[in-house]
Amino acid sequence: MNDMRLFERAATVDEVKIRAKDVNVHYGIAHALKDVSVDIGDRLVTAFIGPSGCGKSTFLRCLNRMNDTIAAARVTGAIELDGQDIYDRRVDPVQLRAKVGMVFQKPNPFPKSIYENVAYGPRIHGLARTRAELDEIVEKALRRAALWNEAKDRLQSPGTGLSGGQQQRLCIARAIATEPEVLLMDEPASALDPIATAQIEELIDELRQTYSVVIVTHSMQQAARVSQRTAFFHLGHLVEYGETGDIFTNPRDPRTESYISGRIG
Amino acid sequence: MTDLPLNGAAGAIPDFPRPARSILETDARTRARNRAEARFRAYGLAALLVGLFFLVLLLGSILWNGMGAFMQTRMTLEVELLESELDPEGTRDPAVLAETSTFGYGDLIEAALVRTVAATGVQTGLEAGDLDDLLSSGTAARIRDAVIADPSLVGQTVTFDVLPSSRVDGYIKGRVTRESLANDKNLSPEHLDIVDALVAQGTLDRGFNLSFITGADASEKRPEEAGIGVAMIGSFYMMLVVLGLSLPIGVAASIYLEEFAPKNRFTDLIEVNIANLAAVPSIVYGILGLAVFIQFAGLPQSAPLVGGLVLTLLTLPTIIIATRASLRAVPPSIRDAALGVGASKMQAVFHHVLPLAVPGIMTGTIIGMAHALGETAPLLLIGMVGFVASNYPGGVLDGFTSPNSAMPAQIYEWAKRADPAFYERAWGGIIVLLVFLLVMNLMAVLVRRRFERRW
Repeated sequence: MNDMRLFERAATVDEVKIRAKDVNVHYGIAHALKDVSVDIGDRLVTAFIGPSGCGKSTFLRCLNRMNDTIAAARVTGAIELDGQDIYDRRVDPVQLRAKVGMVFQKPNPFPKSIYENVAYGPRIHGLARTRAELDEIVEKALRRAALWNEAKDRLQSPGTGLSGGQQQRLCIARAIATEPEVLLMDEPASALDPIATAQIEELIDELRQTYSVVIVTHSMQQAARVSQRTAFFHLGHLVEYGETGDIFTNPRDPRTESYISGRIG
Repeated sequence: MTDLPLNGAAGAIPDFPRPARSILETDARTRARNRAEARFRAYGLAALLVGLFFLVLLLGSILWNGMGAFMQTRMTLEVELLESELDPEGTRDPAVLAETSTFGYGDLIEAALVRTVAATGVQTGLEAGDLDDLLSSGTAARIRDAVIADPSLVGQTVTFDVLPSSRVDGYIKGRVTRESLANDKNLSPEHLDIVDALVAQGTLDRGFNLSFITGADASEKRPEEAGIGVAMIGSFYMMLVVLGLSLPIGVAASIYLEEFAPKNRFTDLIEVNIANLAAVPSIVYGILGLAVFIQFAGLPQSAPLVGGLVLTLLTLPTIIIATRASLRAVPPSIRDAALGVGASKMQAVFHHVLPLAVPGIMTGTIIGMAHALGETAPLLLIGMVGFVASNYPGGVLDGFTSPNSAMPAQIYEWAKRADPAFYERAWGGIIVLLVFLLVMNLMAVLVRRRFERRW
């Protein structure tokens, strides 16, 4: 682990972007998430770590109400984005998801051209009035996702024809093309090789300049490399949450210590 | 490592006989397994061959029996259209000509036949009145139609292409023999002598039977004039109705059930019922159509519109089941991706899920339509029986409501009639129907290949 880097990346900005309070999630009778309260900072990378089935992905999907699509899921508690309850009756999840973008574990580009993949979000949200504006948005998103140089000559070829790492960067470009404020990433690099993973991690670090990034990861090294704050989940509980450096070098909870030293999980 | 004795003398490990053997020789157990596998493959191959044999037998017998319907014997006949018989006053007015019924042409045709037979030089014991049996009983009507259409023909000697009777046609095709005529009152061996002479002379020959494909059904006495064309039009209009109704309704129902409907007892019940509807005997749909569309709603009998409605009910479950299966086959990651960038549920379905499901939907629809095209029983109950298909619909829109039949009902009608010439036409009709089904299935395969999912 690169301890040298851990301490130089202490959080500098400290505005709360998302505030979750006593969040509980039930899937039918299964109690997947228990009393989770967490404050997610703006312009920071927050990592959720923990063993499989600990509830970290469930919590991530609560943050843009993707759990709504699962009929059996029931979410209680309060989650606020900029002080507004995202589970309020007046909130349309579609509008919320335009603000809180998401990148999934498996690269899932639409079976359409690279251009269409990126242009889809801006188009349905009416972000561009002309073709030229749309072209500009697509180029900007692809540049920020570090895919422009590889993709600029083949914008009309299918997105599914890219390599796994390129596909995932395309999905990131697609997510940031709609100008979200928060970017949720569910194990974005778990299906990728180390080189593609490094590229994605570098990208995440850059995206932090503009967005609040929340990343779920299985890899503690990855959490240590990219995040400023880390939350450790275990069996549906949020066990420990704090500065990434503290969590990895000086965990307060014995379960956290066991996990990061490889004894559980 | 433990230090247990390797021979198991201490009893810790049961000592099963496991003789050391080279992998180059197979043991009895492996041989038995290999034999079982070989046997199983042989059973499978045998089943396949039996299936293939019956398929070849079926297709072979259909072609063997049905090809005859595509050939038709024709005869040229010089008829003297006497003015004294048809138009004594010389008006040449079609209305006046129409007053002469087909009986009025009987003598002219008889005279023409006598001349034709005399020209062959065959000495026959048949009377002039018996010679009529050589020709189709529809001959007089044909000539009359020609005369009314062109009154200037009256007074001339005109050469007509006429159809010999079905027995003569059968003789030329080898279906009727001199022996088989022994018990046949319709034709005698003396007639066949004349036929042989006419063939030698070239007056009577065989050609491709276009009117079988384009023509209308004819009465029981005139199998040589019967064609499947009008029934084909009936089938076409029904398929238009089926496609126009069952595709949008089926796809909309499937999308709702698969993507939007809450999963509860009510939707479960609907699901079970759709699966059950696919197994309901088609005749039940027929009687339902009779009760609801004709008796209750007052739609016309024997109309392709009603037939199409009934077949829509029949096709819907097939389309719904196929559409739901192909919607379900679209990976959830595509839906997540669309929802993740802020698409609404409907946008996710219509922009991303549905396009990927299109090949499956199209295939299901074509298969369902092919099924409907071959359906007979429900049509019989709503009056679309074969003999109704004896007139072309008056206009394009009229095709939906004017009484008609459909190909399979026409085939059934012919198969049921006594004259063996109709039997031949039934087989011919089956060939036409099979060609349609083959084309539709081919389309399904092509659609599948062309739009194969690309993710």
